[in-house]
Amino acid sequence: MRGKDVVLDGVSITYPNGFTAVQPTDLKIEAGEFFSILGPSGCGKTTILRAVSGFVEPTGGRVLIGGEDQRGIGPNARPTALIFQNLALFPLMPVWENVAFGLEARGMGRRARRDRAQELLNLVALPEQGYKKPGELSGGQRQRVAIARALAVEPAVLLLDEPLSALDLKLRQHMRSELRAIQQKTGVTFIYITHDQGEALTMSDRIAVMNNGVVEQVGSGDEIYSQPRTAFAASFVGETNMLQGTVKRVSGDMAAVGTSVGRLRGRNPMGLQPGDPAMVFFRPEVLRVGPAENQLTGKLVRRDLEGAFVNLFFDVQGHSMTMHQTNSGVGVGGNVVPLNGEIELGYDTADAVVLPASVLARTGREMAAQ
Amino acid sequence: MSGLIQGFGRGLTIVFFVAAVVWGLVLIILPQLTMLERALTAPARQLDSSIALQLARDAGTCISVLKTYENTQPATSSTGGLPVPSASGMAVPSASGMAVPSASSMGIPSISGGAGKAEATRPYILQCDRATTHRQMVRGPGEEDEWLDTLFDLPDLSVTDTDPIPDQIAAAQRIAAIGQEVYQKLTEEEAKAFPYSGTNFEQLFAARAIPMSAEQKAIDNTKPSKIFYSLIGLRFEKDGQVHERIGLVTLVRTLVYAVVATALALVLCYPIAYKVALATPPERAVWLFLGLVIPYAIVELMRVYAWTTIIDTNGLINGLLTQIGIISEPIQFKRMPGTVFLVVVYTYVLFMVFPIFNVMSTLDRNQIEAARDLGASMARVHRRIVIPHSKPGIAVGCIATFMLSAGAFSVPRIISRGLQADWFSQTIYNKFFESENSNVGAAYSFFYTVLCFAIVAIFMAVMRTRLKDFARVQ
Repeated sequence: MRGKDVVLDGVSITYPNGFTAVQPTDLKIEAGEFFSILGPSGCGKTTILRAVSGFVEPTGGRVLIGGEDQRGIGPNARPTALIFQNLALFPLMPVWENVAFGLEARGMGRRARRDRAQELLNLVALPEQGYKKPGELSGGQRQRVAIARALAVEPAVLLLDEPLSALDLKLRQHMRSELRAIQQKTGVTFIYITHDQGEALTMSDRIAVMNNGVVEQVGSGDEIYSQPRTAFAASFVGETNMLQGTVKRVSGDMAAVGTSVGRLRGRNPMGLQPGDPAMVFFRPEVLRVGPAENQLTGKLVRRDLEGAFVNLFFDVQGHSMTMHQTNSGVGVGGNVVPLNGEIELGYDTADAVVLPASVLARTGREMAAQ
Repeated sequence: MSGLIQGFGRGLTIVFFVAAVVWGLVLIILPQLTMLERALTAPARQLDSSIALQLARDAGTCISVLKTYENTQPATSSTGGLPVPSASGMAVPSASGMAVPSASSMGIPSISGGAGKAEATRPYILQCDRATTHRQMVRGPGEEDEWLDTLFDLPDLSVTDTDPIPDQIAAAQRIAAIGQEVYQKLTEEEAKAFPYSGTNFEQLFAARAIPMSAEQKAIDNTKPSKIFYSLIGLRFEKDGQVHERIGLVTLVRTLVYAVVATALALVLCYPIAYKVALATPPERAVWLFLGLVIPYAIVELMRVYAWTTIIDTNGLINGLLTQIGIISEPIQFKRMPGTVFLVVVYTYVLFMVFPIFNVMSTLDRNQIEAARDLGASMARVHRRIVIPHSKPGIAVGCIATFMLSAGAFSVPRIISRGLQADWFSQTIYNKFFESENSNVGAAYSFFYTVLCFAIVAIFMAVMRTRLKDFARVQ
């Protein structure tokens, strides 16, 4: 394993115009880990990446790679390689020269460079494409060239800035598994920047959820999804239903929240006390029709067929709630809810989480309105 | 074509088409063809046939005048001055008016006759004197003398005034016949002759002796420029005299200046373009850009004149330096080739900076960062990423700057004010407007155009740019 660990020690970054892109942040990324930083655009995740790669000098704190302080070391001297969102392949050079560019900069001879480039092109399954120009390759092939080019310099840390965002859905899904396989084969530390939670959840060992320059939560994909610790993390990762209110009663690790639709209960991981403003989150897949530990009454307003499952949209006294139902057959059985019919809904207390009231991730409707 | 009609409609397309044809034909091809024709047309000079014709006429007049003496001969021969009136009287109807005064005034030698070995049989007759096959041809200045008999391989015949009159008449008749024959032959040849020649171009290559003292020669021989001219054959010694091909020397010097000015402009503009296009945040780049553009809102002549106030003998720099006390005598900037150069670079630098800037600003900054991230030094980033990308812009900028400096006229004229050797554009101007033969100017300018074209073509081949690359630039 040749990856190195990356430590952000109180790193904060303020731009000359006074905008603080990254609030003081402590983060430890283990050697050989596939680590994702997940957040909406403008949250500071790319700035962190640029601080690690050396294009931005932190205004506070320091970056350590493999235990070594990187202050004053330029991007060309750090053991990192960056894959850009637009890949930034060199269009005027043939593919093999692209791949070998880092070796050229290190003074390796032409023949040795070409051999090494060929090895890397074999690794990314492009053995025959060395003499083409990047413009002659398909999107997925260019993607692999960028990976090969970054790996050629044998970096300890590979930084990826949303490299899959320009690809088609199918290709993107395929490249996820390829990236994961390359990471496991090489043992290099990957730091992967994305706003796509699907990418983060499928590939990563651990994920950091960021918002407004602050790392909200760090944990494995399961932890982030099932045990969110902030309202933002709960609302940004996956779909969720939220109701706002005040904590009424705390018993054990559970809390009861008084909301406009009645008293709802859930886990209380942050140790909220009665009187605290709180938000109750539960996922669409835990909401179900029929009696449950927490009862709601709603009216079905829309039914979207997704294929394997069905999205049901309810109006619960003015709040919109989403339910995911497994598609068990067309219009068969008791799972079918009549449109505009009042119906009993509910979820179990252990499936919901009560978190301090705070900013949420913006919904699709909010983004569209902007 | 159909694409154009679809895009712009029939009317506009026709306008485009006509404009393109007019542009290509009237503004580019036609002037060059006219220039070429003028360059190939030799300066007007008397045709050889006309001299043969004159010879035949002179001989004819001579015969008719001699015939008047045939009857009165030989008694009148001793009376000296007496035949003058009769000779002149007889000459009038047959010959042109020219013959009259010359015959009368030239009669004198026969009066004082008796000094020569043989006694002249008649008084002097101009036409008989001119009736000789050994007659000089009319040639241009600097050309070798030619004679009718040697040129066309004729017998050397003339009318000798000591011969008996009938012999003279016979000789004159033979000469008249020869003259007529040569005239007819030449007119036919001249009618068929190709009207163009390379004489005007020859002047460009002509060498001229440079008078100079031995010491001056010794000094000159050590100058790098003179050594260079000797090496490429523009300067040589013949019979102890230094010769220079003056036209070519000016041409070569101007081209070297233009190339160096272009190189200087490139060295100056590349970092500026890079700074503005890639290394500065856009909001600050605007100010840099304005600083570049504003000087070019001033008319070129004004810009050049502004420099004269700076570099004049009583100008800004000299004034400042004398004030401070660094120099006591003003520096003669006007005499330094470097000054002309500097102003040429200043005047045309924008034509270098804009094409480079335009291309550079299309470079994805991520490519620079990617190269940096892969460990490349800034020098390598420029060599491998920025320069290859900017090459079309660099090529366009270099071509524009080179052509403008090679054709610079106002700058060397205003700055040097005649205190320095001319640039070639000035030589062309002089040939056109201040010499007797403006066709030489056409030859110079046509040759120069072709040469500059060739240099640009070679430059493009070396830079491996193709014409279609230029489409990306602007």
